[in-house]
Amino acid sequence: VENVHVGRLVELDVEDETQLDAMCHKLLANPLIEDYEILT
Amino acid sequence: VRLGVVQFPGSCDHTDALLAARRVADAQLLWHGDHSLDGVDAVIVPGGFSYGDYLRVGAIARFSPLMESVIAFANDGGPVLGICNGFQVLCEAHLLPGALLPNTGLRFVCRQVDIEVVGDSAFSRAGETLSIPVKHTTGRYFAPDLDPAQVVFRYAPGQNPNGSQDDIAGVRNEPGNVVGLMPHPEHAVDPLTGSADGLHLFESVLRERVG
Repeated sequence: VENVHVGRLVELDVEDETQLDAMCHKLLANPLIEDYEILT
Repeated sequence: VRLGVVQFPGSCDHTDALLAARRVADAQLLWHGDHSLDGVDAVIVPGGFSYGDYLRVGAIARFSPLMESVIAFANDGGPVLGICNGFQVLCEAHLLPGALLPNTGLRFVCRQVDIEVVGDSAFSRAGETLSIPVKHTTGRYFAPDLDPAQVVFRYAPGQNPNGSQDDIAGVRNEPGNVVGLMPHPEHAVDPLTGSADGLHLFESVLRERVG
């Protein structure tokens, strides 16, 4: 095994994708200790 | 002087915190769904698993109606003490710097530790060493840009139970009215259970308020 990644997957149905980054920053991730990636 | 102890769904140390507070002053519970702090002079955010700690420790509690009032109270200079999960909540609320990560041992730890009081704040006077229990799984403090002047409590040499940065057990905000720590002062208020050193934190806030 060369690499292991354990993460959390949050699936959301949203009308306004422009707010996704703010949602991640404010609640879904804590940027001090977590990275996040938005897949649409 | 009246102290308010916050109760979230999933809190488990609010009763001990309330009984500890009542040893030094009047005290009452504050319900998470209320907006009013009911005129209390200081707020204690106790330990437990607020809102189940789903998503991330402390992340959801931060958005409770009562926390909006606690944040305003703190920003107005009101004394706020976060213990264990309460510390995690105050970090998520950005009232305190940093975040808490899983213990380096990846296991729950429960033991009596000595903590050195290294900073003054609304809840501390530097210079003492307190014997107080810790009990947590997510207690490794992490704050890469922390001002060392904001460190209030350190685990005594060799007693760091969780891999916390620089042996930090608790920190304060810049003005010193908001304090958070992982050890549980509310569980060390009676010599019968091994130590009454935890009372010092509750007495400190009285000195501050009574003058």
